[in-house]
Amino acid sequence: MEKARHTSLWQMIAAPIVWAVHFCAVYAWTASACAHAGAAEEARLGVALMTLAALGLIAVFAWRAWRQWDLLSENDHVHDAPTDGHRRRFLGHAGLLLSMVSAIGVSFVAAPAFYIGSCL
Amino acid sequence: MTRPRPEPPRAWHDPIPQAAPEGIYPPTEEMLRAPVDPKVQQAQEKRLRAVWAQPKGWRYISAVNNSEVGAWYSLTAFGFMLAAGVLALLMRVQLAVPENDFLTADRFNQFFTMHGSAMMFLFAVPMFEAISILLLPALLGARDMPFPRLSAYGYWCFLIGGIFVMGSLLFNVAPDSGWFMYPPLATKAEGPGSDIWLLGLSFIEVASIAAAVELIVGVIKCRPPGMRINLMPLYAWYVLVVGGMILFAFPPLIAGDFLFEMERSFDWPFFDPARGGDPMLWQHLFWIFGHPEVYIVFLPSIAIAAMVVPTAAQRPIAGYSWIVLSAVGTGFLSFGLWVHHMFTTGLPSLSLGFFSAASEAVVIPTGVQLFAFMATLMLGRVRMILPMLWIAGAVAIFTAGGLTGVMLAIAPFDWQVHDTYFIVAHLHYTLFGGMIFPVIGGVYYYYPFFAKKKMSERLGRWSFWLTFTGFNICFLPMHLTGLQGMPRRVYTYPGGIGWDWLNLISTVGAFVVAAGILVFAWDLLRPKRQPPTERNPWQGGTLEWSHDVPDPGWGSRSVPYITSRYPLWEQEEFLDRLDSGRFYIPDAPEGLRETVVTSAVDAVPQHVARITGPAWCTLWAAAFTGGAFIFPTFHMYVPAVISALLALAAVVWWLWTSTAQVPEAPLKDVGLGLRLPTYVSGPQAPGWWGVFITMLGDATGFASLVFGVFFYWTARPDFPPEGAIHADPVFVAAAAMLLCASWGATRVARSVNRRAWHGLTRALLAAAPVLALAGGGAFVLAVTVPDMEPTSHVYPAIIWALVVWTCAHILAGVLMQLYCLAGAFAGKLTPRHDADLWNTTLFWHFLVLTCLVTAAVIGLLPGAL
Repeated sequence: MEKARHTSLWQMIAAPIVWAVHFCAVYAWTASACAHAGAAEEARLGVALMTLAALGLIAVFAWRAWRQWDLLSENDHVHDAPTDGHRRRFLGHAGLLLSMVSAIGVSFVAAPAFYIGSCL
Repeated sequence: MTRPRPEPPRAWHDPIPQAAPEGIYPPTEEMLRAPVDPKVQQAQEKRLRAVWAQPKGWRYISAVNNSEVGAWYSLTAFGFMLAAGVLALLMRVQLAVPENDFLTADRFNQFFTMHGSAMMFLFAVPMFEAISILLLPALLGARDMPFPRLSAYGYWCFLIGGIFVMGSLLFNVAPDSGWFMYPPLATKAEGPGSDIWLLGLSFIEVASIAAAVELIVGVIKCRPPGMRINLMPLYAWYVLVVGGMILFAFPPLIAGDFLFEMERSFDWPFFDPARGGDPMLWQHLFWIFGHPEVYIVFLPSIAIAAMVVPTAAQRPIAGYSWIVLSAVGTGFLSFGLWVHHMFTTGLPSLSLGFFSAASEAVVIPTGVQLFAFMATLMLGRVRMILPMLWIAGAVAIFTAGGLTGVMLAIAPFDWQVHDTYFIVAHLHYTLFGGMIFPVIGGVYYYYPFFAKKKMSERLGRWSFWLTFTGFNICFLPMHLTGLQGMPRRVYTYPGGIGWDWLNLISTVGAFVVAAGILVFAWDLLRPKRQPPTERNPWQGGTLEWSHDVPDPGWGSRSVPYITSRYPLWEQEEFLDRLDSGRFYIPDAPEGLRETVVTSAVDAVPQHVARITGPAWCTLWAAAFTGGAFIFPTFHMYVPAVISALLALAAVVWWLWTSTAQVPEAPLKDVGLGLRLPTYVSGPQAPGWWGVFITMLGDATGFASLVFGVFFYWTARPDFPPEGAIHADPVFVAAAAMLLCASWGATRVARSVNRRAWHGLTRALLAAAPVLALAGGGAFVLAVTVPDMEPTSHVYPAIIWALVVWTCAHILAGVLMQLYCLAGAFAGKLTPRHDADLWNTTLFWHFLVLTCLVTAAVIGLLPGAL
């Protein structure tokens, strides 16, 4: 069954958009928490919460992309035919790969807050 | 049969229906196989040739065809590259021995500033645009770009701006504060150097954004029927990603330039700490542009590799989805790296950590594409053609540059080598490997397509080995020079501290590189007395190798129906069908230039677009736009305003006489049993996409100014200062309401126009600009009535900057409303022909958001803080 999101490029880049929003939010939150309050613990807690939220969202997009890719029923990963099905699975495959890179990106960006406990 | 069919009955409140495609799609194999009568073919070819003929003699410069503009563009960019290379050689001569006095310190400063600025702004980014303008229509089987005159306008802006900026060297007034223009050095610099940089390069950035808009719309809307998103050539994917990056990367710099020039010209203290400003804001805005810029340069060049590698391996690319992941992923992640240029500025270590981590993460998508190339080569039977040699050299050099990049992303290592020659070595490894080598490889690969002749295999190998060895002789020792502590941007150094012989070796290497580039330049430009090349000399599989030799100017004899990623390898009798005009729009009976517009994802044909031909108005528009940017450099504001008005007049003339024209019939037979609308509006129309994409970039510029407000608030304890005067809340509220009303009138006008209520449409379109002007006036009163003095402190200055930005956009919005009103009276805007009104409404959607955010920031924020 073809859904609207199966033809959407926006759906494909949903996960990297989450990465971008998370990145901006983490940066802005840390900058203001450190600049105005010097509150390192507050900054780290906020980063942790935002990271969990972002990873959760990415997981949702990844799951949808995995369903759209439909690898197991087709067992084919070269989507080069001029059909609706191949276009849908291609967008799903690319979306899944982008979700993976975004999840890595979000975890990387959050990692410093795990180790660094000061605003200096 | 073109007899108008009877109108279906319509209720008084129903919109008038728009023309929609009719007939058969997709075409059947039988239809594609049917032969075309040779006499018909000849007659069609004759008509097409006449329509696409280039102007002759001195009128040649009025040409707008992508093959002409692209060739001028790339040769101009190459010329600036050679000039910037000469600056590098002169600097290397100066640095060859210690205590040298070949160049004075001042001239050395001008040279390194202009070397970096020219290589980035006048070579690397324009070269991407030039090559894409040349190639993209051919890759997509389109006749031309969607907005040929916009490309021509962009080119002339680039040429004028480039000559202006480079010419300043000859008068010894070139910018000399480094290519990143850090304040306070650059804000306080004497002479017009900084202004030349700011205004000259802003002018070129506008041209870059114009090209980005053109390229994105080209990829999204001008693909041939059937070329779904999963069949698109990889080059087009990269163009899409890079176009998007330009939209989000360049506007912050333009916004920064705007603040910077306001400080230089009118003493608004954005970067002056004594009055609440902060030089760090410039660094942020510059590097939010500057780091994605590196990938804007790198991705299109690696895209050339993605076209060469399958041809060299004679098999389809391995891991198409993975390369798309890599292009898109790199495009996103590259925006999270900018602070790694600012590791030594004293930001909190937590913040540095985020950027350090993101800088490491970007390696993953970047690496994936290199592995995909390797996999393709391993799976195929590689012929080591000359372009592949250059690509191989690129991969080797880029990988080395990438490895030092991984080192530099670690903040403590960066602290050690910041501003030393280690950085110079790293950035040249990435840019030579990521840009120069693949582009030269691409020129060798595509020369038979561009020029219908071949370059010399022997000179090409000489050039490669000279450039490759010379490059490593020049830049490999610089890692060591840097680790031994030699700083960048010094015009000389003392002898006897271990830097002497390393510098001498680098200088020798620089001249070897120059020899290699000169061999290439000679091979490129020398007159070639040889028969025309064969059509597909490398046996490529993608559409561009269906080009005609010699070039008839029409781009593609007929616009093909595509069912494969490599039509020349995999589609049956493809070339025969293309050449005999078996596909779409094989003819030009109306004597108009046309191309097929398709849907964004599945490339279903939607529209046959009439595109513009040779014109002088683009040259006038570019010349006067140049005046509007160049006069203020010398504080000549009256001629600047006159120039701006003349540029505007030229643009309005250009739009009025050639865009969204009412066609002779609503539908046109395009062949293969399909009839397409000749006029569409809204999201089906390329023009609507052009406005949408331009406005995304514009919104980014505005967001950068708003970022500035919040930046001052986090970074400065005195923002806003004690007892500051705030904007008048009553006027701010009035402005917001008036502008919302103007937006509403425009939006409602669009709907009632569709219902043919002419009186109401015109009344709304007349009221809307009055409301908008009143709203803009209220914004101005909001800051002038309380007497906010922008030179006194950064708080009133940034509020003023927001108001100036918003009012300039309101003026543009008013002009667009008046343009629609005039169109309604002139019969250009009718219920069926409303593209201008759709575009104006779209502009106003963005504008009303801008106005509301401005109102919130200047009216509500003081209370919230």
